[in-house]
Amino acid sequence: MHAIEAIAISKKFGDLLALSDVNFFVAEGETFGFLGPNGAGKTTTIRILTGITMPTAGTAMIFEKDIVKETIAARRQMGIVHETSNVYDDLSAWHNLMFAAELYNVPRSVRERRGKELLELFGLWERKDDRVRVFSKGMKRRLTLAMGLVNDPRLLFLDEPTSGLDVQSNLIIRDVIHDLTEQGVTVFLTTHNIEEANLICDRVAIINRGQIAAIDSPERLKKTIQSVQSVEVAFDPPSLDRLNRLRALPLVSEVRKEGDKFRLITEDPATVIEGVTAYAQEHQVRIISMTTIGPSLEDVFIKLTGLVPRVKGVKVID
Amino acid sequence: MTDFSEGCGQLCRELKAAWAIAKKDIRIYYLKPNIIVSGMLFPLFMFLAFAIGRDAPPTLLVPGLIAITILFSASSIEPVSIPIERRTKTFDRLLSAPISLHSVVLGESLSGFLYSAGIALVPLTAGMIIFQTPLVQPAALIAGILLTAFCFATMGTLFAAYPTESPGDIMSMLNLVRLPLIFVSGVFIPVNALPPIGQVIVMLSPLTFGNDLIRAAFEGSTHFNPLVDLVAIGGFILLFQLAANHLYRKFNE
Ligand SMILES: Nc1ncnc2c1ncn2[C@@H]1O[C@H](COP(=O)(O)OP(=O)(O)OP(=O)(O)O)[C@@H](O)[C@H]1O
Ligand SMILES: [Mg+2]
Repeated sequence: MHAIEAIAISKKFGDLLALSDVNFFVAEGETFGFLGPNGAGKTTTIRILTGITMPTAGTAMIFEKDIVKETIAARRQMGIVHETSNVYDDLSAWHNLMFAAELYNVPRSVRERRGKELLELFGLWERKDDRVRVFSKGMKRRLTLAMGLVNDPRLLFLDEPTSGLDVQSNLIIRDVIHDLTEQGVTVFLTTHNIEEANLICDRVAIINRGQIAAIDSPERLKKTIQSVQSVEVAFDPPSLDRLNRLRALPLVSEVRKEGDKFRLITEDPATVIEGVTAYAQEHQVRIISMTTIGPSLEDVFIKLTGLVPRVKGVKVID
Repeated sequence: MTDFSEGCGQLCRELKAAWAIAKKDIRIYYLKPNIIVSGMLFPLFMFLAFAIGRDAPPTLLVPGLIAITILFSASSIEPVSIPIERRTKTFDRLLSAPISLHSVVLGESLSGFLYSAGIALVPLTAGMIIFQTPLVQPAALIAGILLTAFCFATMGTLFAAYPTESPGDIMSMLNLVRLPLIFVSGVFIPVNALPPIGQVIVMLSPLTFGNDLIRAAFEGSTHFNPLVDLVAIGGFILLFQLAANHLYRKFNE
């Protein structure tokens, strides 16, 4: 049984076509990432899948229940973590959590036990009686996640779960998702964080301007652009002036400066390594490190969404 | 994954969720100063402005004050809370919960209803002490207070369906209706003292019937049959509930 089946979903806001014929499925137990730039339609997709917004055309099945026609039955199985940390500022963390549980009819004894577990898990137990108004952004985000889990959902929607979180909170959340997956919970998450999608998703859909550009596992997506490999090199002394010289090396299609390193995109890493070595000898600079890397999910993303990397003077991968 | 549906059918789940929604508003709004001002002081001033110097008998004044207080207090919470919930996106929680929109509307109205029924005790007690008005039909009073409060709480929720994030937008629309209602509901001038056209217009206002019931509690007689009052207010409640449900659905598409 599929946890989610999106069937020819389109959504119009006035004249704007926010989603156009979106089709995909998510298998039960899968962690599915929805990756796309701002305004691509990620949140709109989640709002349709959770029955908050009506699709203009098409529908979605949640565990074989039609979200448009059997909305309540479909929703009973889901937990939702909305894009904004939508907590009640004037309620305590505890009352927020209990309210979320009551909306899902979680019995008192269960919700109190579960509530304690979750607040401890997200490091908020000591602050449970504080009004959420005084919470930091990250604390509110963690509380929002706890609220999404309080009904023990079989399918969890996460709309940019880690945006605005520090490394530690990020790790907690990644751990939580990992544990959920082990328990067989299906996770649907949206993100613009490519590394996050790469790390935790079984499959990823790349969406751009309301259309699905590709759906596959991160590794297989990378394979589709095997022609895009790169050599990453760091010099001593580091200097920006090298950009044009490196660009002139044979078979280098593009050079990006990434931190203190240069990334040379090529179809033929071996030749580029020779070229870089010769360049270093000629100019009497030392090579501190040199690595060849395969295509990253970011490369796939850039290629499929046609985005121009925002580094001056760098051309787009065609 | 746990199925929490055992031991409680869908209707029971809906009612529990509605009560949870009401409790949340009670926790957040009952102690907010602006709610107390708009729910208690505003109707009192309205009343003083129009009633003083009219030389009306206490059996007209006390029910009138109670009715106006209910009108304003019952519809003072949702028009504030719902736009704020839209702004903070907490409203999405209600819209995505496994319950019908009817329960959301009901839950939202419940907090205004309870608030108003409680506040109505203030003018009731004050009126009875100051004017020494005896209570002749307590049942009519209870029914009148509860039904009127519920009716205007639902009206508040209905107005709050207008998709704005600013409470002011809804309050100004609401006042466009609430203020005229005072004058076409037999609150200051008894219905039978109105010109014939006025006697027809009053039928459009739920406050007419609520006020009539509450007056019956003090005067022992009503302009309409109490049963007519009950059915009329019940009809308005149903109308507001259905309209609210329709509008929340429509504006959410
Ligand atoms: N209620 C609405 N009314 C009008 N347009 C809307 C509405 N909701 C979304 N849109 C439009 O639909 C498009 C997709 O928006 P959506 O919020 O789904 O993007 P997103 O992928 O979640 O972006 P982000 O990464 O910024 O969160 C945008 O162009 C947005 O302006
Ligand atoms: Mg979004």
